[in-house]
Amino acid sequence: MTGRPGLGRVALVLGTGVILALLPGIFGTGIYSLRITTLMLVMIIYTVAFNIIFGHTKQLFLCLGALAGLSAYLSVILMRELKLVPAAAVAVGTLGAGALGALLSYVAARRGLGIIFVGIVTLVVSLIFQNLLLGLRRYTNGETGIVTQGLGFGLAGHTAAAYYVFLVLLVLALWVYQWLMAGRPGLAFGALSEDELTAELAGIDVTRYKVLAATVGSGLIGLAGALFADFNEFISPSIFSLAHVDIVVLIALLLGGMRTLLGPVIGAAAFTLIDELVRPFGQATVLAYGVLLIVLFLAFREGLVPFLRRLTRIPVP
Amino acid sequence: MIGVLLDGLVQGLQLALLGVGITLVYGLGGVLNLAHGQLAVVAGVTTALLIGAGFGRIPSAFLGLLGAGLAGVIIDRTLLLPAYRRRGEERLLLALILTLGLSFGVDGFLAYRYPSVALTLRLPVGAVVLAGVRVRTVSLAVAGLALLAFALLALFLKRTLLGKAVRSIIQNETGASLCGIDVGRTRTLIVGMSGLLAGLAGLSQGLFSNLGPEMGPEFTVLALIVAVVGGVRSLSGTVIAGLLLGLVNAVASFYVGTYLTWILLLLAALLTLLVRPEGLLAYWT
Amino acid sequence: MLRVEGVAVAYDGIPILRDVSLEVGRGEAVGVIGPNGAGKTTLLRTIASLVRPQAGSVSWDSLRLDLLSAHQVARRGVVYIPAERELFPQMTVLENLQLGSYPHPSGYPVRLAFIFDLFPRLAERRHQRAGTLSGGEQQMLAIARGVMMQPKLLLLDEPSTGLAPLLVAELYRQLGRLRDEGLTVLLAEQQVPRALEFCRRLYVLENGQVVLAGSPDDLLKNPALKRAYLGIA
Repeated sequence: MTGRPGLGRVALVLGTGVILALLPGIFGTGIYSLRITTLMLVMIIYTVAFNIIFGHTKQLFLCLGALAGLSAYLSVILMRELKLVPAAAVAVGTLGAGALGALLSYVAARRGLGIIFVGIVTLVVSLIFQNLLLGLRRYTNGETGIVTQGLGFGLAGHTAAAYYVFLVLLVLALWVYQWLMAGRPGLAFGALSEDELTAELAGIDVTRYKVLAATVGSGLIGLAGALFADFNEFISPSIFSLAHVDIVVLIALLLGGMRTLLGPVIGAAAFTLIDELVRPFGQATVLAYGVLLIVLFLAFREGLVPFLRRLTRIPVP
Repeated sequence: MIGVLLDGLVQGLQLALLGVGITLVYGLGGVLNLAHGQLAVVAGVTTALLIGAGFGRIPSAFLGLLGAGLAGVIIDRTLLLPAYRRRGEERLLLALILTLGLSFGVDGFLAYRYPSVALTLRLPVGAVVLAGVRVRTVSLAVAGLALLAFALLALFLKRTLLGKAVRSIIQNETGASLCGIDVGRTRTLIVGMSGLLAGLAGLSQGLFSNLGPEMGPEFTVLALIVAVVGGVRSLSGTVIAGLLLGLVNAVASFYVGTYLTWILLLLAALLTLLVRPEGLLAYWT
Repeated sequence: MLRVEGVAVAYDGIPILRDVSLEVGRGEAVGVIGPNGAGKTTLLRTIASLVRPQAGSVSWDSLRLDLLSAHQVARRGVVYIPAERELFPQMTVLENLQLGSYPHPSGYPVRLAFIFDLFPRLAERRHQRAGTLSGGEQQMLAIARGVMMQPKLLLLDEPSTGLAPLLVAELYRQLGRLRDEGLTVLLAEQQVPRALEFCRRLYVLENGQVVLAGSPDDLLKNPALKRAYLGIA
């Protein structure tokens, strides 16, 4: 995957955007279906970001929810307390998430932490964040959460307009992804995920590229998170918990296929489908997630995209 | 203040039970069991269900403990098999994700099936006075049980040949195989033992206040924190870490809120990971 | 008697051993020599069942070893002493030896006395942690631990690795005593003169194949061996 993106990839990204744009037409613009489809778009964006961070540079960030939550809460609190304009607040949130991701990545890279340690460190950070949210009641309202109606760009109301805003963000995310992967960063990612030492010896600044991947991914998550706060009309600590974000994204990426362009899209779509099927069982959804994660990781770790590749003999990206 | 410190030490013993369980499994299997806390809950829920069905408290507790140990054995022999087929980091990563999935699975199952089953154990006498200090009997019971468990464990590891075999696997898995030690079977034994230890921690929680089916993840996190701070390869370090963190927990809870206390404990783990990953208190196995 | 027949081993598709066959009779001291990368270690590891062969079989007295796992092979008395030694660094010399007695715990005191007689240095350092021993002492401990297991066949992988010549001489003196007591030994060695001195029969391994076999006298007459020998020297 060297050289410039090429028309093919760009076309694919836009094509995906077009297909997804048709969804409201297919599934209707009722509040319920719009909510499901919009949430799916958010999940895809998170998964694309996780693909960059974990799929391509093996940084097991188990703090995705915390990154999104940081941005969301930061932007909401700034708008509420300091009366910041939405654009500025969202920008701060995004930058905050990006900065946290960059910091974690940098420290981990400098200390030479392996995948597992990074996983545990980010898990701990995630939990610290949860407790911060619960503890700083004055600003965050603790467990009760904050109603965000009236704050932000007005994405609330589960309208088709909101859906298309997220779609634009998604297309942007996909474009950033394939732009990265088709260029030098993509090559560097490939090398360092194979063997960091060898990559380093070959002249690749492993730390720089890892931090790049983490920053871009975290920034994306932050941006999506802040906009989500607007859309959802409500944020609370549990919305950004491990069980709600991280495990879902992990499943989606595994299901779709790591290190592929369409993997996150297909994976998140498939997961949304499964989620809808399991919904009537209430509490058992978490059980289903757990079982799904196990089964996927054991039997189907490749993902749907490589599977489709082999099935149809088409090099699906 | 003495009361708070004593409480802290007893809680510390409970934390040490959790931490040692995870450390044993990591040392022997190279596997970080993120479903460890669930084993504690399994013991508690099983005990509560048995008591509810009319069995006596002591037999129920005993069976609950065994249940946790059995659950550990089953996990080792089924879910973790694919992980054991690999080595080093691959094994660790696979096991991490698999046990993460299991943790969610068990948590979801309990929330679905037994959402309101909680374990509360009451002792006949509330408190006694020792050396002028009023001590709750539950504290004595928990401390006694935990210390007994640790004493037995230490004896086992230091004195028996099987125990030395266990330590040898922690230090060099290949070398142990070459000495004719069946690493797989020994591992299963240890995972079962870690289940028993977790179960004991769970029952202790039932004695202190109550153990709810949703507490699994909380126990796992505590176990992780203690194991990390004490050193995931050091048993003595983990016990000391448990006691220290128990004190921190008790004192901090007394002066600041729950959430800040959690943050302190988590920060301790974070600091250890970043500054001295092999454990702040790591010593010999 | 050890019988290796037509064994082929490959790592990631790269063949290391191709169609290797050899025999070691009871009480024999047999050597395997050859240049670096010839496959000596892989051969020993295959016999110890740390590696599964893609073809062929390994048997000890008609018991198929390649179908057993490593610890089962060890329990059956086929004891492998790797070049890396694989000791337990935080345990004392005594504890390492105790673990050697794990498969057959009875008669431990007698065997221990025998070991300490054979390796007085280890007796001196019995309470010292294995990780703090010198290279030569670690090698002795590894062999001693292997002997504690009451081996029927001892697989020695380049025991002279990293040892000063004086220590190598001492080590081989002790190994000689064991050999003379009737221990069956299969020895892989880089230091050809030592192997020629110690073994009654030798196999020369090159590129994963046995190119030459015979007694030390036979081998010394052979120009091909000089090639292998020079390859090492």
